[in-house]
Amino acid sequence: MNAATQTGLSKRGLVMSASASRWRRIGAVLGQGFLFSVTSLSTLAVFFIFYFIAKDAIPFFQLEGFQEFFTSTRWYPSGHPAEFGTLAIFFGTGLVTLGAVLVAVPLGVAAAVCLSDVLPFNARQIVKPVIEILAAIPSVAYGFFALVVFAPLLQNKGGIVLSVGAWLILAPVLALVVVVLSDLISDRCSDLMKDTVRWTAILVLGGGALYAMTVLGHRLSGIEIMSGANALNVSIILGIMALPTVVSVSEDALQAAGRELREGSYALGATRAETILKTIIPASVSGILAAVILGVMRAIGETMVVWMASGNAARIPEPWYNMLEPVRTLTATIAGDMGEADHVTGSSRFHVLFAMALCLLAFSFIMNLASESIVRRSRKKLGK
Amino acid sequence: MRLETRKLLDRAFSGAGLIAIGVMALVLVIILAPIVSKGTGAFVFRGTIEHRKVMFDQWGRGNPEKFDAEKEEVSAARQPVYDMLSRFEADLDEMPRSDRRPYKKPFRELEKALAGLLGPAPGERTPVLIRQQYGATRWDRAQIKLDEVLYTQDWDYSNPDALGVLVKTPRKEAFENTSLEPLFGYLEEHVEEMLRPRMTFYWQFLTDTSKDSHIFGGIGPEVLGTIYLTIGAMIFAIPMGVIAAIYLCEYAKEGRVIGFLRTCISTLAGVPSIVFGLFGLAFFLNTIHVSDSKSVLAGSLTLSLLILPTVIRASEESILSVPKAYKEAALSLGAGRWHTVLTVILPAALPGILTGVVISMGRAAGETAPIIFTAAVSVGRPLLPSQALSQPTPALPWNIYNLCTEHEAVDEIRHVQYGMVFTLVALVLLLNVFAIVMRAKISKKLRG
Repeated sequence: MNAATQTGLSKRGLVMSASASRWRRIGAVLGQGFLFSVTSLSTLAVFFIFYFIAKDAIPFFQLEGFQEFFTSTRWYPSGHPAEFGTLAIFFGTGLVTLGAVLVAVPLGVAAAVCLSDVLPFNARQIVKPVIEILAAIPSVAYGFFALVVFAPLLQNKGGIVLSVGAWLILAPVLALVVVVLSDLISDRCSDLMKDTVRWTAILVLGGGALYAMTVLGHRLSGIEIMSGANALNVSIILGIMALPTVVSVSEDALQAAGRELREGSYALGATRAETILKTIIPASVSGILAAVILGVMRAIGETMVVWMASGNAARIPEPWYNMLEPVRTLTATIAGDMGEADHVTGSSRFHVLFAMALCLLAFSFIMNLASESIVRRSRKKLGK
Repeated sequence: MRLETRKLLDRAFSGAGLIAIGVMALVLVIILAPIVSKGTGAFVFRGTIEHRKVMFDQWGRGNPEKFDAEKEEVSAARQPVYDMLSRFEADLDEMPRSDRRPYKKPFRELEKALAGLLGPAPGERTPVLIRQQYGATRWDRAQIKLDEVLYTQDWDYSNPDALGVLVKTPRKEAFENTSLEPLFGYLEEHVEEMLRPRMTFYWQFLTDTSKDSHIFGGIGPEVLGTIYLTIGAMIFAIPMGVIAAIYLCEYAKEGRVIGFLRTCISTLAGVPSIVFGLFGLAFFLNTIHVSDSKSVLAGSLTLSLLILPTVIRASEESILSVPKAYKEAALSLGAGRWHTVLTVILPAALPGILTGVVISMGRAAGETAPIIFTAAVSVGRPLLPSQALSQPTPALPWNIYNLCTEHEAVDEIRHVQYGMVFTLVALVLLLNVFAIVMRAKISKKLRG
């Protein structure tokens, strides 16, 4: 919501009466000037950040050029000669972010829908603090959990964890798919055959699904994970960290869709699920998109979890989507390498980290602009 | 589609939402449970006589007379062990050289394992490292050490397709038919008498300085450092944030400039935390040299930039939620604009602003990345407030990272790591719970 437009007073502006003394006028102007300068000082910080990161990043590109940085996967900053290919690191960042989004978005949007449309007010008051606490837990505590609790679990019981996870996610989905499919199949039959066809379809499809699940579960439980510090571990934890952002922003978007839309849809005989899926979510899709963007930003910018639990191996996994291999991310590289590069200020090794930070910064800036413009446009569309 | 299927889909949809929320709650429990249950283990545990020895020697805590009496009893219980060892050594000397050989290495290993459990043997010279001057100080560690005395552990890599398998063999086997064989039975039976585990409440964990790189002692300097950094960050962030919020809510006329300022603020909120750390290093330390080395000051400044957007937003929201009637009433009484802000709006918005401030305090206390290059070191003494301007400090978040990844005895000091994480999480959550309760009260007041 736009801050100042709500207070009608400040929009019209308060005009000082003509009888006010000159000193009061000057005081008012000076006071406002002071407030404005403090405010702009705090926003000036963004420029300072851009300037000082870029100032130390540019020497790297002057020394080493652009080509190796963006196209090579060989990251040997302390080698002779040093190699600064960051492609694998960019890839690792992308991979864990993608994983985090896959975890956070379905869960987060479902939870947001539940919060805004399903739960009664009282229950919402209980759930909100859960989300707030999830958001408040320091990232290093998440990292500690990922490293000390989750990684050993994956390493020792990885296959079982994977197959249990697959069952938990797929079993309800498949059950639903079977029921709906068999319903659709039986719809075309004559009334007499309907029930028979339906039950046969349920049995056949259900049996097939169960068999497929068992095979998959068996396959998964045979997997041995060499290191618990891998992309999967980090993705899950990052997804959890991004959840609160996704939930609260998309809940705001869902709420903003308004009662009229919902009531109109219910009046046409739609169920709650149909109302939400076909009316509310399309109406608030831009807000949800903004939530996803903010979640992505959270996952990309996170440092401690990836540094502690991603394994920090600067290479592209084989095959590229293999989440069970260690990866390395931009943030972890900056945090981890600066300790060694710190002493040799001026060398490429120092500046390459600033170059990475500049990429991160540019990316988060673009994402932020994108989410802002999406929100602004959707607000216009909804007439608010 | 039939109506019943539609209903089923509808229920499944609601169910999915409920499951999502259930998963979130479950995740919260799963993450917090080990941290809380094992974290309290740093404060409340069954401490052995060795722990009491550490406390007495290093910090002068404990009643000397009682302690001496207990030490007597313990050494009486331990005497048979050392008797058996020396008898075996005498036996070894009598043996012909060739018979002696197979016992030599296992015997030395046994002595080492025993020193891990009970500390150095009586009469031995005191080792230099503090960690070698004492046995197992906690009962849970003592049981692991006892296991190491009773069994040798080996990794079996014979199957090249699988991970190595741990194989344990009783040490007893190495000393079969010698005078040392009864030792193992004696140890197993009398270990409690030798170590005297007793429930200990070690609250000084919060205030003690650590000894021998966190193997003994507490986390006092880290807690203090975190408090310094948090307070420092708030000192810079609160005035700037609140002033900016007042300006944006009460004075700013919507337009290009203000829209631009808002974009800047939301950009600042999206900057990755590690970039703040680099910025702090490049600007505060390398460019304007607020201090010669990393320092609490530089870290606080960096952190304050990080939480500034949060403070601004929270303050803005709470200023906006002050009923308009308050302001109109004040203005109609002839109060000036500035006067109204100071005497009417700010006091009414204060609880809300405080809530935001408390939440961002939690954020500042838990952030790690920004202080890595600007303020945190891995070991250090507790700082005096006067040193905060120029000296780096240990801090909880950074030391958690350090202790559980780079420490030489990662597995030995799990309880310290858990204790640290627990302390940090408890600190942050307490702040948040405080804020949540306060906000609930405000919203009730505003509604009622």
